Amino acid sequence: MSLDNILTNWSRYRKGAEEGGFHEYEHQWGMVVDLNKCIGCNACSVACYAENNLPVVGEKRCGKNQAMNWLRIERYWDEPDIEPYKAIPTANVDVWIEGNPPAKKTDLKPSMPSSYLPGLLEQGGQSFEERVGFDGTKSEFQDFGASFLPMMCQQCHAATCEPVCPVAATYHTPDGLNAQVYNRCIGSRYCSNNCPYRLRYFNFWSYYEDAWPEPLHMQLNPDLSVRDKGVMEKCTFCVQRIRVAKDMAKMENRKVMDGEFATACVQTCPTGALVFGDMQNPESQVSKLWSYHQVERGKTKQSKQNKELRGYRILEGLNTDPSVLYLERVREV
Amino acid sequence: MSHGYLFLSGPVGSSGVAVPHYRGSRYFLMVLAAMVLGFFLAISSAWADGGTSVPNAVPPKGEHEGKNVEQPIEFPHNIHVDVNKINCMYCHTYARRSKVAGIPPTSKCMGCHLVIATDKPRIKKLTEYWEKKEPPRWKKVHDVPDYVHFTHEKHLKRFVFDNEGMSVDNVSEVCAFCHGEVKKMTVAHKVKPLNMGFCARCHEANKGPFDCWKCHK
Repeated sequence: MSLDNILTNWSRYRKGAEEGGFHEYEHQWGMVVDLNKCIGCNACSVACYAENNLPVVGEKRCGKNQAMNWLRIERYWDEPDIEPYKAIPTANVDVWIEGNPPAKKTDLKPSMPSSYLPGLLEQGGQSFEERVGFDGTKSEFQDFGASFLPMMCQQCHAATCEPVCPVAATYHTPDGLNAQVYNRCIGSRYCSNNCPYRLRYFNFWSYYEDAWPEPLHMQLNPDLSVRDKGVMEKCTFCVQRIRVAKDMAKMENRKVMDGEFATACVQTCPTGALVFGDMQNPESQVSKLWSYHQVERGKTKQSKQNKELRGYRILEGLNTDPSVLYLERVREV
Repeated sequence: MSHGYLFLSGPVGSSGVAVPHYRGSRYFLMVLAAMVLGFFLAISSAWADGGTSVPNAVPPKGEHEGKNVEQPIEFPHNIHVDVNKINCMYCHTYARRSKVAGIPPTSKCMGCHLVIATDKPRIKKLTEYWEKKEPPRWKKVHDVPDYVHFTHEKHLKRFVFDNEGMSVDNVSEVCAFCHGEVKKMTVAHKVKPLNMGFCARCHEANKGPFDCWKCHK
Protein backbone atom coordinates (compact mmCIF):
# COMPACT_ATOMS: atom_id res chain seq x y z
CA MET A 1 0.00 0.00 0.00
CA SER A 2 2.55 2.55 1.07
CA LEU A 3 5.06 1.43 -1.55
CA ASP A 4 2.39 1.83 -4.21
CA ASN A 5 1.66 5.26 -2.88
CA ILE A 6 5.30 6.23 -3.04
CA LEU A 7 5.78 4.89 -6.53
CA THR A 8 2.70 6.54 -8.00
CA ASN A 9 3.44 9.83 -6.32
CA TRP A 10 7.02 9.66 -7.39
CA SER A 11 6.28 9.11 -11.01
CA ARG A 12 3.66 11.84 -10.91
CA TYR A 13 6.02 14.42 -9.57
CA ARG A 14 8.95 13.29 -11.64
CA LYS A 15 7.12 14.04 -14.86
CA GLY A 16 8.22 17.17 -16.62
CA ALA A 17 5.99 20.15 -17.26
CA GLU A 18 5.53 19.15 -20.89
CA GLU A 19 3.98 15.88 -19.74
CA GLY A 20 1.60 17.71 -17.47
CA GLY A 21 3.49 16.75 -14.35
CA PHE A 22 2.66 19.72 -12.22
CA HIS A 23 -1.05 20.12 -12.42
CA GLU A 24 -2.05 18.54 -9.15
CA TYR A 25 -0.24 20.88 -6.83
CA GLU A 26 -2.22 22.30 -3.95
CA HIS A 27 0.26 25.10 -3.48
CA GLN A 28 3.59 25.96 -4.98
CA TRP A 29 5.58 27.72 -2.37
CA GLY A 30 8.17 29.97 -3.87
CA MET A 31 10.56 32.69 -2.91
CA VAL A 32 12.11 35.79 -4.36
CA VAL A 33 15.47 37.11 -3.18
CA ASP A 34 16.33 40.64 -4.15
CA LEU A 35 20.12 40.80 -4.04
CA ASN A 36 19.99 44.56 -4.39
CA LYS A 37 18.41 44.74 -0.98
CA CYS A 38 20.56 42.09 0.68
CA ILE A 39 23.12 43.65 2.98
CA GLY A 40 24.66 40.36 4.09
CA CYS A 41 23.72 40.84 7.73
CA ASN A 42 23.06 37.11 8.29
CA ALA A 43 19.87 37.80 10.24
CA CYS A 44 18.02 35.28 8.04
CA SER A 45 20.58 32.64 8.87
CA VAL A 46 20.26 33.34 12.59
CA ALA A 47 16.49 33.20 12.35
CA CYS A 48 16.77 29.88 10.62
CA TYR A 49 18.98 28.53 13.39
CA ALA A 50 16.43 29.59 15.97
CA GLU A 51 13.37 28.38 14.12
CA ASN A 52 14.60 25.04 12.89
CA ASN A 53 16.53 23.70 15.90
CA LEU A 54 19.83 23.94 14.09
CA PRO A 55 22.82 23.13 16.27
CA VAL A 56 25.75 25.49 16.46
CA VAL A 57 28.49 23.01 15.70
CA GLY A 58 31.52 24.98 16.77
CA GLU A 59 34.53 26.32 15.00
CA LYS A 60 36.38 23.07 14.32
CA ARG A 61 33.45 21.26 12.76
CA CYS A 62 32.58 24.39 10.88
CA GLY A 63 36.07 24.30 9.41
CA LYS A 64 35.41 20.76 8.25
CA ASN A 65 32.37 21.96 6.36
CA GLN A 66 29.97 20.41 8.84
CA ALA A 67 28.08 23.55 9.76
CA MET A 68 24.34 23.05 9.72
CA ASN A 69 23.38 26.37 8.20
CA TRP A 70 20.27 25.62 6.19
CA LEU A 71 20.38 29.17 4.99
CA ARG A 72 23.86 30.44 4.35
CA ILE A 73 25.04 33.76 3.07
CA GLU A 74 27.49 33.25 0.27
CA ARG A 75 29.96 36.05 -0.20
CA TYR A 76 31.31 36.96 -3.60
CA TRP A 77 33.88 39.55 -4.56
CA ASP A 78 33.71 41.72 -7.59
CA GLU A 79 36.73 41.61 -9.81
CA PRO A 80 39.32 44.00 -8.33
CA ASP A 81 40.41 45.36 -11.67
CA ILE A 82 37.10 46.93 -12.56
CA GLU A 83 37.89 50.55 -13.40
CA PRO A 84 36.12 52.33 -10.54
CA TYR A 85 37.85 50.21 -7.95
CA LYS A 86 41.26 50.94 -9.40
CA ALA A 87 40.65 54.60 -8.81
CA ILE A 88 40.22 54.03 -5.09
CA PRO A 89 43.56 53.59 -3.29
CA THR A 90 43.61 50.01 -2.05
CA ALA A 91 42.96 49.34 1.58
CA ASN A 92 42.67 52.92 2.65
CA VAL A 93 40.93 52.71 5.98
CA ASP A 94 40.76 56.48 6.28
CA VAL A 95 37.90 56.38 3.86
CA TRP A 96 35.74 54.93 6.62
CA ILE A 97 36.50 57.58 9.17
CA GLU A 98 35.74 60.75 7.37
CA GLY A 99 37.18 63.90 8.87
CA ASN A 100 38.89 62.04 11.66
CA PRO A 101 41.76 60.06 10.19
CA PRO A 102 43.91 58.18 12.66
CA ALA A 103 47.36 59.61 13.24
CA LYS A 104 49.00 56.38 12.25
CA LYS A 105 47.24 53.61 10.43
CA THR A 106 48.35 51.10 13.04
CA ASP A 107 46.44 53.00 15.74
CA LEU A 108 43.22 51.74 14.33
CA LYS A 109 42.22 48.71 16.38
CA PRO A 110 39.23 46.51 15.97
CA SER A 111 36.44 47.75 18.11
CA MET A 112 35.94 44.34 19.70
CA PRO A 113 38.50 43.33 22.31
CA SER A 114 40.47 40.42 20.97
CA SER A 115 39.72 38.43 24.14
CA TYR A 116 36.23 37.92 22.72
CA LEU A 117 37.72 35.94 19.91
CA PRO A 118 39.87 33.30 21.58
CA GLY A 119 39.43 30.81 18.77
CA LEU A 120 40.52 33.23 16.12
CA LEU A 121 43.36 34.42 18.26
CA GLU A 122 44.94 31.01 18.52
CA GLN A 123 45.08 30.39 14.83
CA GLY A 124 48.65 30.31 13.65
CA GLY A 125 49.89 32.08 16.75
CA GLN A 126 48.92 35.40 15.29
CA SER A 127 46.92 38.03 17.05
CA PHE A 128 43.66 39.08 15.57
CA GLU A 129 45.14 42.35 14.42
CA GLU A 130 48.08 40.65 12.79
CA ARG A 131 46.03 38.13 10.97
CA VAL A 132 43.17 40.26 9.79
CA GLY A 133 45.29 43.34 9.37
CA PHE A 134 43.17 46.22 10.43
CA ASP A 135 45.98 48.57 9.59
CA GLY A 136 44.82 48.10 6.07
CA THR A 137 47.93 46.51 4.66
CA LYS A 138 47.47 42.82 5.37
CA SER A 139 43.81 42.24 4.75
CA GLU A 140 43.07 39.03 2.96
CA PHE A 141 39.89 40.62 1.72
CA GLN A 142 39.21 43.40 -0.66
CA ASP A 143 37.88 46.53 0.88
CA PHE A 144 35.21 46.98 -1.73
CA GLY A 145 33.08 44.95 -3.97
CA ALA A 146 31.62 42.31 -1.67
CA SER A 147 28.20 41.05 -2.56
CA PHE A 148 26.03 38.59 -0.74
CA LEU A 149 23.72 35.84 -1.78
CA PRO A 150 21.42 34.04 0.66
CA MET A 151 21.37 30.41 -0.32
CA MET A 152 18.62 28.14 0.95
CA CYS A 153 17.18 24.93 -0.46
CA GLN A 154 15.87 25.84 -3.87
CA GLN A 155 12.93 23.39 -3.56
CA CYS A 156 13.50 22.24 -7.11
CA HIS A 157 10.54 20.85 -9.00
CA ALA A 158 12.71 18.38 -10.82
CA ALA A 159 14.96 17.88 -7.85
CA THR A 160 18.12 15.90 -8.33
CA CYS A 161 18.07 14.73 -4.72
CA GLU A 162 14.74 12.94 -4.94
CA PRO A 163 15.26 10.09 -7.41
CA VAL A 164 18.54 8.98 -5.85
CA CYS A 165 17.19 8.38 -2.36
CA PRO A 166 17.13 4.61 -1.87
CA VAL A 167 14.41 4.73 0.80
CA ALA A 168 12.19 7.55 -0.48
CA ALA A 169 13.01 9.69 2.51
CA THR A 170 13.06 12.69 0.25
CA TYR A 171 10.12 13.13 -2.07
CA HIS A 172 8.00 15.84 -3.61
CA THR A 173 4.97 17.03 -1.68
CA PRO A 174 1.73 18.29 -3.21
CA ASP A 175 2.90 21.71 -2.01
CA GLY A 176 5.81 21.68 -4.40
CA LEU A 177 8.39 21.18 -1.69
CA ASN A 178 11.22 18.70 -1.42
CA ALA A 179 10.31 16.93 1.75
CA GLN A 180 12.85 15.26 3.95
CA VAL A 181 11.41 12.66 6.29
CA TYR A 182 13.95 12.23 9.04
CA ASN A 183 12.54 8.97 10.32
CA ARG A 184 12.92 7.31 7.01
CA CYS A 185 16.39 8.62 6.23
CA ILE A 186 19.13 6.03 6.52
CA GLY A 187 21.96 8.47 5.89
CA SER A 188 23.22 7.19 2.58
CA ARG A 189 24.03 10.81 1.63
CA TYR A 190 23.29 10.19 -2.04
CA CYS A 191 21.00 13.20 -2.05
CA SER A 192 23.61 15.65 -0.85
CA ASN A 193 26.09 14.27 -3.33
CA ASN A 194 23.56 14.80 -6.07
CA CYS A 195 22.53 18.31 -5.06
CA PRO A 196 24.16 20.83 -7.38
CA TYR A 197 23.64 23.60 -4.83
CA ARG A 198 25.25 21.79 -1.87
CA LEU A 199 22.29 22.60 0.30
CA ARG A 200 21.82 19.39 2.16
CA TYR A 201 23.43 18.99 5.53
CA PHE A 202 24.30 15.76 7.20
CA ASN A 203 24.32 15.11 10.93
CA PHE A 204 27.76 13.64 11.30
CA TRP A 205 27.46 13.82 15.08
CA SER A 206 24.77 13.81 17.71
CA TYR A 207 24.86 17.56 17.87
CA TYR A 208 21.94 17.76 20.27
CA GLU A 209 24.14 16.35 23.01
CA ASP A 210 26.15 19.54 23.39
CA ALA A 211 24.47 22.13 21.18
CA TRP A 212 21.86 23.09 23.74
CA PRO A 213 23.24 22.75 27.26
CA GLU A 214 20.73 23.34 30.07
CA PRO A 215 18.65 25.87 30.06
CA LEU A 216 19.23 26.44 26.32
CA HIS A 217 17.22 23.34 25.45
CA MET A 218 14.20 25.37 26.40
CA GLN A 219 14.63 27.38 23.20
CA LEU A 220 14.04 24.36 20.99
CA ASN A 221 11.09 24.64 18.66
CA PRO A 222 8.59 21.89 19.51
CA ASP A 223 7.05 22.03 16.05
CA LEU A 224 9.84 20.06 14.49
CA SER A 225 12.07 17.30 15.65
CA VAL A 226 15.64 17.55 16.82
CA ARG A 227 17.61 15.46 14.39
CA ASP A 228 19.96 12.76 15.49
CA LYS A 229 23.20 11.49 14.07
CA GLY A 230 23.09 9.92 10.62
CA VAL A 231 20.21 11.90 9.23
CA MET A 232 20.21 14.29 6.32
CA GLU A 233 18.43 17.58 6.69
CA LYS A 234 17.84 20.73 4.73
CA CYS A 235 15.76 23.88 4.46
CA THR A 236 12.07 23.00 4.47
CA PHE A 237 10.68 26.46 3.72
CA CYS A 238 9.62 26.32 7.39
CA VAL A 239 7.13 23.56 6.73
CA GLN A 240 5.93 23.74 10.34
CA ARG A 241 4.65 27.25 9.68
CA ILE A 242 3.11 26.19 6.40
CA ARG A 243 1.37 23.38 8.25
CA VAL A 244 -0.07 25.71 10.86
CA ALA A 245 -1.23 28.18 8.23
CA LYS A 246 -2.89 25.46 6.21
CA ASP A 247 -4.53 23.97 9.28
CA MET A 248 -5.89 27.35 10.31
CA ALA A 249 -7.18 28.03 6.82
CA LYS A 250 -8.87 24.67 6.76
CA MET A 251 -10.50 25.22 10.13
CA GLU A 252 -11.89 28.49 8.84
CA ASN A 253 -12.90 26.95 5.49
CA ARG A 254 -10.86 29.29 3.35
CA LYS A 255 -7.68 29.28 1.34
CA VAL A 256 -4.31 30.28 2.71
CA MET A 257 -3.96 33.99 2.11
CA ASP A 258 -0.88 35.65 0.75
CA GLY A 259 1.23 37.19 3.47
CA GLU A 260 -0.67 35.31 6.17
CA PHE A 261 2.56 33.73 7.29
CA ALA A 262 6.18 33.80 6.26
CA THR A 263 9.19 31.65 6.77
CA ALA A 264 11.56 32.62 9.57
CA CYS A 265 14.13 34.13 7.21
CA VAL A 266 11.56 36.22 5.39
CA GLN A 267 10.06 37.40 8.64
CA THR A 268 13.46 38.46 9.93
CA CYS A 269 15.02 40.12 6.89
CA PRO A 270 15.49 43.77 7.90
CA THR A 271 15.53 45.08 4.36
CA GLY A 272 12.72 43.00 2.95
CA ALA A 273 15.02 41.32 0.48
CA LEU A 274 13.18 38.02 0.81
CA VAL A 275 9.61 37.46 -0.29
CA PHE A 276 7.72 34.24 0.25
CA GLY A 277 4.38 33.07 -1.02
CA ASP A 278 2.22 30.71 -3.01
CA MET A 279 2.88 30.78 -6.72
CA GLN A 280 -0.42 29.06 -7.47
CA ASN A 281 -2.12 32.24 -6.36
CA PRO A 282 -1.73 34.76 -9.19
CA GLU A 283 -2.39 37.61 -6.76
CA SER A 284 0.48 36.77 -4.43
CA GLN A 285 3.48 39.04 -4.28
CA VAL A 286 5.75 36.21 -5.29
CA SER A 287 3.92 35.29 -8.46
CA LYS A 288 3.65 38.95 -9.41
CA LEU A 289 7.40 39.33 -9.06
CA TRP A 290 8.03 36.19 -11.07
CA SER A 291 5.80 37.33 -13.87
CA TYR A 292 7.18 40.87 -13.75
CA HIS A 293 10.69 39.54 -14.19
CA GLN A 294 9.47 37.22 -16.92
CA VAL A 295 10.84 34.10 -15.30
CA GLU A 296 8.81 30.97 -15.92
CA ARG A 297 8.72 27.55 -14.32
CA GLY A 298 9.75 24.42 -16.12
CA LYS A 299 12.34 26.03 -18.36
CA THR A 300 16.06 25.56 -18.63
CA LYS A 301 16.55 28.88 -20.34
CA GLN A 302 14.37 31.93 -19.94
CA SER A 303 13.25 33.81 -23.00
CA LYS A 304 13.12 37.28 -21.54
CA GLN A 305 11.80 40.06 -23.70
CA ASN A 306 13.50 42.72 -21.68
CA LYS A 307 17.16 42.10 -21.01
CA GLU A 308 17.15 44.77 -18.31
CA LEU A 309 15.03 42.59 -16.04
CA ARG A 310 17.08 41.22 -13.17
CA GLY A 311 15.44 37.90 -12.42
CA TYR A 312 17.33 34.66 -12.73
CA ARG A 313 17.36 31.23 -11.17
CA ILE A 314 20.54 29.60 -10.03
CA LEU A 315 21.78 26.74 -12.23
CA GLU A 316 18.46 26.44 -14.00
CA GLY A 317 20.34 25.16 -17.03
CA LEU A 318 20.64 21.87 -15.18
CA ASN A 319 16.86 21.45 -15.47
CA THR A 320 16.33 21.40 -11.72
CA ASP A 321 13.50 23.94 -12.00
CA PRO A 322 14.15 25.73 -8.69
CA SER A 323 11.46 27.64 -6.79
CA VAL A 324 13.67 30.52 -5.74
CA LEU A 325 14.01 33.55 -7.97
CA TYR A 326 17.04 35.77 -7.49
CA LEU A 327 17.05 39.38 -8.62
CA GLU A 328 20.49 40.34 -9.80
CA ARG A 329 22.47 42.92 -7.95
CA VAL A 330 22.99 46.16 -9.83
CA ARG A 331 26.26 48.00 -9.38
CA GLU A 332 27.08 51.51 -10.31
CA VAL A 333 29.84 51.06 -12.84
CA MET B 1 -8.64 -9.79 17.58
CA SER B 2 -5.65 -10.40 15.39
CA HIS B 3 -6.15 -14.12 15.91
CA GLY B 4 -9.67 -13.87 14.70
CA TYR B 5 -8.64 -12.25 11.47
CA LEU B 6 -5.81 -14.65 10.95
CA PHE B 7 -8.06 -17.63 11.18
CA LEU B 8 -10.85 -16.21 9.12
CA SER B 9 -8.80 -15.05 6.19
CA GLY B 10 -5.49 -16.85 6.51
CA PRO B 11 -4.39 -19.88 4.51
CA VAL B 12 -5.14 -22.35 7.29
CA GLY B 13 -8.55 -21.28 8.37
CA SER B 14 -9.94 -20.25 5.02
CA SER B 15 -10.20 -23.80 3.75
CA GLY B 16 -10.38 -27.16 5.41
CA VAL B 17 -8.10 -28.43 2.66
CA ALA B 18 -5.11 -27.40 4.66
CA VAL B 19 -5.98 -29.95 7.29
CA PRO B 20 -4.69 -33.17 5.65
CA HIS B 21 -1.28 -31.60 5.86
CA TYR B 22 -1.32 -32.61 9.49
CA ARG B 23 -1.29 -36.32 10.10
CA GLY B 24 -3.43 -37.81 12.79
CA SER B 25 -6.75 -36.81 14.21
CA ARG B 26 -5.26 -35.08 17.25
CA TYR B 27 -3.86 -32.31 15.04
CA PHE B 28 -7.09 -32.19 13.15
CA LEU B 29 -9.04 -31.63 16.33
CA MET B 30 -6.63 -28.99 17.51
CA VAL B 31 -6.87 -27.10 14.25
CA LEU B 32 -10.63 -27.42 14.29
CA ALA B 33 -10.76 -26.12 17.85
CA ALA B 34 -8.51 -23.22 16.93
CA MET B 35 -10.72 -22.43 13.97
CA VAL B 36 -13.83 -22.41 16.08
CA LEU B 37 -12.14 -20.27 18.70
CA GLY B 38 -10.86 -17.93 16.05
CA PHE B 39 -14.31 -17.65 14.56
CA PHE B 40 -15.80 -16.62 17.86
CA LEU B 41 -12.98 -14.16 18.49
CA ALA B 42 -13.58 -12.63 15.08
CA ILE B 43 -17.30 -12.35 15.74
CA SER B 44 -16.77 -10.73 19.10
CA SER B 45 -14.20 -8.26 17.76
CA ALA B 46 -16.48 -7.43 14.85
CA TRP B 47 -19.15 -6.65 17.40
CA ALA B 48 -16.81 -4.44 19.34
CA ASP B 49 -15.67 -2.58 16.23
CA GLY B 50 -18.97 -2.43 14.44
CA GLY B 51 -20.89 -1.20 17.43
CA THR B 52 -20.20 2.45 16.68
CA SER B 53 -22.81 4.96 15.71
CA VAL B 54 -20.42 7.40 14.07
CA PRO B 55 -21.57 7.94 10.50
CA ASN B 56 -19.17 8.34 7.55
CA ALA B 57 -16.34 6.81 9.49
CA VAL B 58 -14.38 3.59 9.49
CA PRO B 59 -12.94 3.13 12.96
CA PRO B 60 -9.23 2.31 12.98
CA LYS B 61 -8.30 -1.26 13.74
CA GLY B 62 -5.66 -2.36 16.14
CA GLU B 63 -5.24 -3.25 19.76
CA HIS B 64 -2.64 -2.69 22.38
CA GLU B 65 -2.22 -3.71 25.95
CA GLY B 66 -1.03 -0.62 27.67
CA LYS B 67 0.30 -0.65 31.18
CA ASN B 68 -1.77 0.82 33.91
CA VAL B 69 -0.37 4.24 34.63
CA GLU B 70 -0.56 5.24 38.24
CA GLN B 71 -2.02 8.70 38.57
CA PRO B 72 -1.90 10.95 41.64
CA ILE B 73 -5.66 10.48 42.01
CA GLU B 74 -7.42 7.48 40.53
CA PHE B 75 -9.72 9.56 38.38
CA PRO B 76 -12.91 7.62 37.56
CA HIS B 77 -13.71 8.36 33.91
CA ASN B 78 -16.53 5.85 34.12
CA ILE B 79 -18.45 7.75 36.79
CA HIS B 80 -18.11 11.02 34.92
CA VAL B 81 -18.83 9.83 31.41
CA ASP B 82 -20.85 6.65 31.71
CA VAL B 83 -22.93 7.41 34.77
CA ASN B 84 -23.20 11.17 34.73
CA LYS B 85 -23.02 11.60 30.94
CA ILE B 86 -20.57 14.45 30.94
CA ASN B 87 -19.25 15.23 27.49
CA CYS B 88 -15.54 14.54 26.95
CA MET B 89 -15.04 18.05 25.69
CA TYR B 90 -16.45 19.60 28.84
CA CYS B 91 -13.15 18.87 30.57
CA HIS B 92 -10.83 18.23 27.63
CA THR B 93 -11.93 21.50 26.18
CA TYR B 94 -8.90 22.20 24.03
CA ALA B 95 -9.49 19.17 21.84
CA ARG B 96 -11.79 21.00 19.51
CA ARG B 97 -9.59 24.04 19.07
CA SER B 98 -5.97 22.99 19.33
CA LYS B 99 -3.48 20.26 18.75
CA VAL B 100 -3.75 18.84 22.25
CA ALA B 101 -6.85 17.79 24.12
CA GLY B 102 -5.57 19.25 27.35
CA ILE B 103 -6.06 18.36 30.97
CA PRO B 104 -8.56 20.51 32.80
CA PRO B 105 -7.30 22.89 35.44
CA THR B 106 -8.05 21.96 39.01
CA SER B 107 -10.46 24.87 39.16
CA LYS B 108 -12.67 23.05 36.67
CA CYS B 109 -12.76 20.01 38.95
CA MET B 110 -13.53 22.19 41.93
CA GLY B 111 -16.31 23.93 40.05
CA CYS B 112 -18.39 20.85 40.75
CA HIS B 113 -16.56 19.22 43.59
CA LEU B 114 -16.85 22.11 45.99
CA VAL B 115 -20.36 20.79 46.47
CA ILE B 116 -20.56 17.35 44.90
CA ALA B 117 -19.30 14.22 46.64
CA THR B 118 -17.06 16.14 48.99
CA ASP B 119 -16.90 13.30 51.47
CA LYS B 120 -15.31 10.78 49.08
CA PRO B 121 -11.63 10.00 49.67
CA ARG B 122 -10.57 10.90 46.12
CA ILE B 123 -12.33 14.24 46.30
CA LYS B 124 -10.71 14.90 49.66
CA LYS B 125 -7.35 14.30 48.01
CA LEU B 126 -8.32 16.67 45.22
CA THR B 127 -9.37 19.33 47.70
CA GLU B 128 -5.99 18.98 49.37
CA TYR B 129 -4.29 19.79 46.10
CA TRP B 130 -6.66 22.68 45.59
CA GLU B 131 -5.94 24.12 49.01
CA LYS B 132 -2.20 23.73 48.53
CA LYS B 133 -2.63 25.52 45.19
CA GLU B 134 -0.80 22.71 43.49
CA PRO B 135 -2.01 20.84 40.44
CA PRO B 136 -2.08 17.05 40.64
CA ARG B 137 0.80 15.83 38.49
CA TRP B 138 -1.18 13.81 35.99
CA LYS B 139 0.91 11.47 33.94
CA LYS B 140 0.62 11.31 30.19
CA VAL B 141 -0.90 8.09 28.92
CA HIS B 142 -1.41 8.63 25.21
CA ASP B 143 1.80 10.00 23.83
CA VAL B 144 2.98 10.06 20.25
CA PRO B 145 6.66 10.51 19.47
CA ASP B 146 8.13 13.98 19.07
CA TYR B 147 8.46 13.58 15.33
CA VAL B 148 4.72 13.22 14.86
CA HIS B 149 2.38 16.08 14.23
CA PHE B 150 -1.14 15.28 15.39
CA THR B 151 -3.99 17.72 15.88
CA HIS B 152 -7.13 16.84 17.79
CA GLU B 153 -8.80 19.86 16.25
CA LYS B 154 -8.80 18.62 12.68
CA HIS B 155 -9.80 15.09 13.59
CA LEU B 156 -12.78 16.37 15.56
CA LYS B 157 -13.70 18.62 12.67
CA ARG B 158 -13.65 15.68 10.28
CA PHE B 159 -15.46 13.17 12.49
CA VAL B 160 -17.74 15.34 14.61
CA PHE B 161 -18.38 18.91 13.60
CA ASP B 162 -18.27 18.52 9.81
CA ASN B 163 -19.74 15.03 9.94
CA GLU B 164 -23.33 15.03 8.81
CA GLY B 165 -25.63 13.11 11.11
CA MET B 166 -23.11 13.04 13.93
CA SER B 167 -24.28 14.29 17.27
CA VAL B 168 -21.77 16.09 19.45
CA ASP B 169 -23.25 14.21 22.42
CA ASN B 170 -21.72 11.02 21.02
CA VAL B 171 -18.26 12.49 20.77
CA SER B 172 -16.91 9.85 23.14
CA GLU B 173 -17.33 7.31 20.37
CA VAL B 174 -15.02 9.30 18.14
CA CYS B 175 -12.56 9.68 20.98
CA ALA B 176 -12.75 5.92 21.43
CA PHE B 177 -11.27 5.43 17.94
CA CYS B 178 -7.84 6.17 19.37
CA HIS B 179 -8.35 6.16 23.13
CA GLY B 180 -10.48 3.09 23.54
CA GLU B 181 -13.57 3.02 25.68
CA VAL B 182 -12.36 5.41 28.32
CA LYS B 183 -15.88 5.68 29.66
CA LYS B 184 -15.56 2.13 30.96
CA MET B 185 -12.19 2.79 32.60
CA THR B 186 -11.25 4.60 35.75
CA VAL B 187 -7.92 6.16 34.85
CA ALA B 188 -7.18 5.87 31.16
CA HIS B 189 -4.72 3.34 29.85
CA LYS B 190 -3.55 2.87 26.35
CA VAL B 191 -5.56 0.27 24.44
CA LYS B 192 -4.78 1.33 20.88
CA PRO B 193 -1.29 1.04 19.44
CA LEU B 194 -1.11 4.64 18.12
CA ASN B 195 1.72 3.68 15.83
CA MET B 196 2.17 4.60 12.20
CA GLY B 197 0.40 1.54 10.87
CA PHE B 198 -2.61 2.31 13.04
CA CYS B 199 -2.75 5.90 11.80
CA ALA B 200 -2.05 5.00 8.18
CA ARG B 201 -4.72 2.29 8.05
CA CYS B 202 -7.31 4.72 9.34
CA HIS B 203 -6.18 7.45 6.97
CA GLU B 204 -6.50 5.01 4.11
CA ALA B 205 -9.94 3.78 5.14
CA ASN B 206 -11.28 7.29 5.76
CA LYS B 207 -9.48 8.93 2.86
CA GLY B 208 -7.33 11.11 5.04
CA PRO B 209 -4.25 12.89 3.74
CA PHE B 210 -1.40 10.61 2.81
CA ASP B 211 1.54 12.95 2.54
CA CYS B 212 4.49 12.06 4.81
CA TRP B 213 4.95 15.67 5.82
CA LYS B 214 1.35 15.89 6.93
CA CYS B 215 2.24 13.98 10.08
CA HIS B 216 6.01 13.75 10.22
CA LYS B 217 7.86 16.82 11.21
